[in-house]
Amino acid sequence: MNNVIVKSKEVTLLEILDRVLDKGVVISGDMVISVADVDLIYLGLKVLLSSVETIEKLRGSPFVGPMQEAR
Amino acid sequence: MVENRQLVYLYCVADKEPKINGGNNLYSICHNGLYAVASRVEQLEFGEDGLKKKMADFEWVKTKASLHERIIERVMSGTNVIPFKFATLFNTDNSLKAMLEQYGQEFKAILRKLVNKQEWGLKIYCNPEKLKTSFSNDEAEILKIENEIKFSSVGKSYFLKKKKDELIEKTLNERINECGQESFELLKELSFEAHINRLLPREVTEREDEMVLNSAFLVHKDEVGDFHNMVDTLKMHYEGKGFLIDCTGPWPPYNFCGLSSGKGQNE
Repeated sequence: MNNVIVKSKEVTLLEILDRVLDKGVVISGDMVISVADVDLIYLGLKVLLSSVETIEKLRGSPFVGPMQEAR
Repeated sequence: MVENRQLVYLYCVADKEPKINGGNNLYSICHNGLYAVASRVEQLEFGEDGLKKKMADFEWVKTKASLHERIIERVMSGTNVIPFKFATLFNTDNSLKAMLEQYGQEFKAILRKLVNKQEWGLKIYCNPEKLKTSFSNDEAEILKIENEIKFSSVGKSYFLKKKKDELIEKTLNERINECGQESFELLKELSFEAHINRLLPREVTEREDEMVLNSAFLVHKDEVGDFHNMVDTLKMHYEGKGFLIDCTGPWPPYNFCGLSSGKGQNE
């Protein structure tokens, strides 16, 4: 375990936004703001998450096989 | 006059009493052995209208998203946590408790799964020009066409050049796929769970290089050393060939807390 990398203090904002705004548990119920609303604002922020088309354009072809199960 | 009520902002749910010192108006609510870490926020800021306006203010989002992360990380240092998405809001403590009641068993199952595990992120970026340079000199087919071009007429060499460019593009995509797939598969073998996430475009990453893999791994603490050795091996193999491998963590397990209802994560 002596190879464990200690988290860099300068983890970019991108890394934080990529998780905090996009991931984490989403509960529907007695909420004031619906998730969809936040997503719309998120898009408005130009923090545009790429669509499948962009992925394909980028790679020429999408990953095949086990890579697809996570999407 | 608009009444400025307070709302309850939920950061995470923990399996042990979290150590919070009251900063940022934090408090915890215990219900059936689960601890929700929350704070009171102003409705003017986090209510529907307020939040819409605030989300357009990048500085505000930056500050609040970083705070969200910091608070969860602090709780995470002493206990297992289920992180919630930014701006998960409730009207009252009672409605938060009702949610804990409703999802209690599922949360407990997720927390059991998370014991002794860490989330690590791996993003791979590619500089296409550098990658092209790295393979153009050792791809036999490309070298063959180059050689043919030297001995061809102007007309024929035009078509050969086109063919060469197509071959380079094709090889480029193959190499990108290979790197992404190999890295993901090898690290997945050392992980309890693994996810591939959406790629972020350059406008978001603000990098010159294209993101070609955005992935997350839930790694057992005992395997973290091996996981990093593998990351180093991949770096040695791929960096210098036009790829950049960026491993970060440990993160709160944002990617591994999906509820069975399928609503747990926004994918």
